[in-house]
Amino acid sequence: MASHGVPRVAETAQRTEAQRLEEERQIREYRDLEELISAKIAERQYTLEVLELTSKLLKKNPEYYTIWNVRRRLLIYGLFSKPSDSSSHLTASPNSSLTDTTKASSENSSSSTITTSGASTTTPQNPAFPNRGRNGTTLDLIRGDLEFLFPIMVKYPKCYWLWNYRLWLLQEANESLESDIARELWNRELILVGKMLVKDSRNFHGWGYRRKVVSELESPKLGGRSMVESEFEYTTKMIHGDKGLSNFSAWHRRSKLIPRLLDERNASDETRRQFLDDEFELIISAMYTDSYPYQQSAWFYYQFLMTTLTDYVGHGSITPNFTPEDRAEYVTRQLVILKDMLDGAEDCKWIYNALIDYTMALCRMEERKPDLDERQDCATWLAELRKLDPDRSGRWDDLEKSLRD
Amino acid sequence: MSLVSGPGRAGGNALPDELQLVIEPHVKYIQSLDTRKDELEYWLTEHLRLNGLYWGLNALHLLNRPDALPRKETIDFVLSCQADNGGFGAAPGHDAHLLYTASAVQILAMVDGIGELEKRGKEGGAMAVGKYIADLQNRETGTFAGDEWGEEDTRFICCAFVGLSLLKLLNLVDLDKAVDYIVSCANFDGGYGVAPGAESHSGQIFACCAALTIARRLDKVDKDKLGMWLSERQVEGGGLNGRPEKLEDVCYSWWVSSSLSMIGRLHWIDGGKLSRFILNCQDPENGGLADRPGDMVDVFHTNFGLAGLALLEFDGLEEVDAAYCMPKKVVERVLGPEYYNYS
Amino acid sequence: MESLSDTKWDVLISGTGLQNSLLALALSRSGKKILHVDENVYYGGAEAAFSLQEVDEWLEKIQGDISSKPFRNASLWKAEASDGTAGLSFSRAYTLTLSPQIIYSRSKLLSNLVSSKVYRQLEFQAVGNWWIYDGETEASLRRLPNGREDISQDKSIDNRAKRSLMKFLKFVVNYENLTETWEPHADSGLAGFLSRKFQLSPSLQSVISALTLSFEPSDQIPVKWALPRIARHLTSIGVFGPGFGAVVPKWGGAAEISQVACRAGAVGGGVYVLGTGIKTSETVTEDGEQLSKVELSNGENVKTRRIVGKNTGHDLANLKSVSKIIAVVSSPLTSLFQSSIEGSPLAAVSVLVFPSKSLPEGTAQPNPVYIMVHSSETGECPSNQCVLYATTLKSDNSKAVLEAALSALLKSTEDDEGKLLYSLYYEQEQQASYASLDLAFNDEILQAVEDQWKTIMADDNGTLEGSFMQFEDREGMNNDDDDGDEGF
Repeated sequence: MASHGVPRVAETAQRTEAQRLEEERQIREYRDLEELISAKIAERQYTLEVLELTSKLLKKNPEYYTIWNVRRRLLIYGLFSKPSDSSSHLTASPNSSLTDTTKASSENSSSSTITTSGASTTTPQNPAFPNRGRNGTTLDLIRGDLEFLFPIMVKYPKCYWLWNYRLWLLQEANESLESDIARELWNRELILVGKMLVKDSRNFHGWGYRRKVVSELESPKLGGRSMVESEFEYTTKMIHGDKGLSNFSAWHRRSKLIPRLLDERNASDETRRQFLDDEFELIISAMYTDSYPYQQSAWFYYQFLMTTLTDYVGHGSITPNFTPEDRAEYVTRQLVILKDMLDGAEDCKWIYNALIDYTMALCRMEERKPDLDERQDCATWLAELRKLDPDRSGRWDDLEKSLRD
Repeated sequence: MSLVSGPGRAGGNALPDELQLVIEPHVKYIQSLDTRKDELEYWLTEHLRLNGLYWGLNALHLLNRPDALPRKETIDFVLSCQADNGGFGAAPGHDAHLLYTASAVQILAMVDGIGELEKRGKEGGAMAVGKYIADLQNRETGTFAGDEWGEEDTRFICCAFVGLSLLKLLNLVDLDKAVDYIVSCANFDGGYGVAPGAESHSGQIFACCAALTIARRLDKVDKDKLGMWLSERQVEGGGLNGRPEKLEDVCYSWWVSSSLSMIGRLHWIDGGKLSRFILNCQDPENGGLADRPGDMVDVFHTNFGLAGLALLEFDGLEEVDAAYCMPKKVVERVLGPEYYNYS
Repeated sequence: MESLSDTKWDVLISGTGLQNSLLALALSRSGKKILHVDENVYYGGAEAAFSLQEVDEWLEKIQGDISSKPFRNASLWKAEASDGTAGLSFSRAYTLTLSPQIIYSRSKLLSNLVSSKVYRQLEFQAVGNWWIYDGETEASLRRLPNGREDISQDKSIDNRAKRSLMKFLKFVVNYENLTETWEPHADSGLAGFLSRKFQLSPSLQSVISALTLSFEPSDQIPVKWALPRIARHLTSIGVFGPGFGAVVPKWGGAAEISQVACRAGAVGGGVYVLGTGIKTSETVTEDGEQLSKVELSNGENVKTRRIVGKNTGHDLANLKSVSKIIAVVSSPLTSLFQSSIEGSPLAAVSVLVFPSKSLPEGTAQPNPVYIMVHSSETGECPSNQCVLYATTLKSDNSKAVLEAALSALLKSTEDDEGKLLYSLYYEQEQQASYASLDLAFNDEILQAVEDQWKTIMADDNGTLEGSFMQFEDREGMNNDDDDGDEGF
């Protein structure tokens, strides 16, 4: 977006004449470059020279999505099909040994990589060179492009188009290259996205990209196997890492991996129960530790665990064979833990909120009305909530109504 | 129309105790945007030109100044962005994309110019636009790609539904499948992410709620859970953030509060505090709003800040539709009074 | 080259310890003519770093001079070369530093090294894991929690204690604004304060006290002295990367900074003469200006406007002394260097703390012992070995205490099969201030340098021009946590 978090600059006078001229020069340079590319593309000059021109422009402005599209067309309708020597100077990596070991793909594919039926009118429908997919050239180009992208991504880690383009490039590798070579490229992406997430552990582009990279690496076409164990381990590391307890992205990912993890482990009921106990221990310890100042992330993950006990839809995820009694017993135990937690943290609204929610949930599970004690407790907790969190008083009003019903 | 940031800065001078909405400076600010062609940033943001026009125009409509931009030039510019395939790009010569196609249709709806598509648009008129959008639906999963290159994101379902519904062409797509897809993106916290498995994010929640609203399928939302998660986006200073443990930002004044509104839970946050936060993001002299007090203003935040205020029924602003982010008047004119009478 | 006596020097500095070297650098960058001499034949003074051969020469000098300062009572032990196991390597394979110090990320020293561009010639390494010794538990070395996430995971702390600990940590990083909590207890002992105000258990009191690097036992550390040091520790973690809060310069720590500063000082026009001290000086008047006429120990006479000598004239009664052992061990002690956090670099230095009275029965241990374990990554020893720097307050049995701590350390890392190869014992007396003994670089030293610099600059110019070491931010050093920008 145009200006997120751009701090106010000191009050400056009007631009000087020199500054104005300089800006004018920059605009002219930028627009000339734009026009040059446009003219070359109109002539269908799908050459390395034009590719370099797009690189120049995209370094200035990585948000310029149309130019990324121009780059895609340059590659798939032109450069991927050129003889390999033409790409040699583009290869950023001095190590070209992989190139030598690859064989020309037997596939002579002219099928479109376009995944939807829409087609751009600016895209020629018949590639000039149908023999695209010669491993050497294509691999060099893809590797060169991946390396070209990296520093721009580090600089603009939240630019949608960059992540998209990168993903597209790797999917091209799947189409055009031997699967072991493509797999190697995807493997490097896992390392790369790990680095990006060390820099910013909440970047949702990064987490989304990680999900996609992992699912590619798991896919049969790349000879993959499930990575659910290592990914689960990764979330553990992230949670234990810097600011990890408040890293809702990591907690979220964990919640999504657990059902698959247990299925793939063929976990017995006993193992699943133990697993749930361990997760509760982990999160309760986090709730205690993360309570100053009171953060939300741990509480949302706690909500996830509780959901697997209280919500009909959540039952399947960790302990599908729990009886209603088992679930009620667990919820009851958690209520005791929460009450205990209150001692010394009387100013923590999350505890009151959870106490009310799960007391009511327990009643629902046991298909009964709250008893007098429970009603009184809830009323007391609600009064605390109103005091501690007046901003959400409308929510407490609704909660009060629901307690009355 | 540009969305170059600045020149104004939010809260530049101390606002009076009683915070006021400075209507005239905002109007002037938006009107001035297209006169800044001597700034490099004007050109570096060309890829957002059509969005920028929608943001500026919508802000003007909410400020009750719908005629502050010339209608004919507006329509001319929109049509000049249409590609041969029926979709719209960000600016003339830019590739078509759903993000801009939705903006184009919204702008035309606001200036009562959808009819111009038939007359002066690419061959096929509104249907060509509808087909462009419909062709982007993934018929297996129900979701939408943003353009021919196939990137999928729940935002695009929203764009598709907004565009198609205003063109009255929703019948071109498989609504049920798209709804199922949205449901598959729901998380335990009640929110939605960019794709199944992705973390809940207020922007995506808005997109999913808006799509479900247009499809009349809000019954699919766990409103209490989502409402709780959304209401916790309000931070101490009154502003809203997009995800847990993040900074507040004026644009979330819209994404979060419109979602709360769509699920009937807008009263779960402190509207007064939110209004004050938004007003503090104004540049009271030169107009425009920024993401946070003290930052540079731009037209994106100007629109979503004003839309947030409008949703809170702030005095002097037009009523806004939570799903379309357009004046209710416009939506009613295009879709007919029955749209709001539906229950 | 001109002879030294042809020049009228602005400042003659004697001694190339860290403080003097930084001063020389700052002055030479401010256009002063500096003559920097050192009676030693090496740079670094009390912060010098030595090869084994140089240690032998130094030892001989110390042992031959009963009044030597600040070092005394030095003795050396070497393992017998026997049974074919790898012993000591050649002399130059080692760089043993007399005053090893860690530098916290938030120390002004680092920003000064950056702004003065000196950092470009230095390579910094992470000080990672901190360990606390607890003779009573089975696994006698316990890793100190490195922040919130570590505390959460630590199964030896129960949940309530975790919360108490977090309350304290939240307090301490903001202690300057929370004076009402601590000022009434400013001079009380830290341990009691932690117990009374935050209900921390004795074991957590030791953990917190360890972070102060105090030479005194935890009940004698004044609260007002401890809080800034604890805050410094906590707020430094993560500044340069995940999982660590302090660094050391490669190739010999502070000695390396001294040398690099001297080199930069020389580039800035300073002249350096080693093996030369000040013999006599007298005040003379020349062209109406008061100058010092100095005879150097090499026989040359020089004239200077000002002399910055070695530190003299301090209150002898309050002098602190510490006992130190520099040991070389025949193992990389890998179990002490763990990377537990995603993305954190492997540390080159580990810090081990033995709280007072923690060593096994039989060793009276009145004061805490600190051992800084330097891996071969520091460039101070060959790979597969480690250098251990042990320090404790000097007492009647401090040598025995240090030896007991070293052997306890080797015992608790038995899997690593480390054997002692080399052990250099010595005692070190504080110089101008306690800061000279501090195990973490003490910003007071920098303040002292800045004060000296200001005095000299102001005297000469009437007004102060330019700024000390030119503070400026380095790109990437600021936290970039502003992530509202996830536009739609």
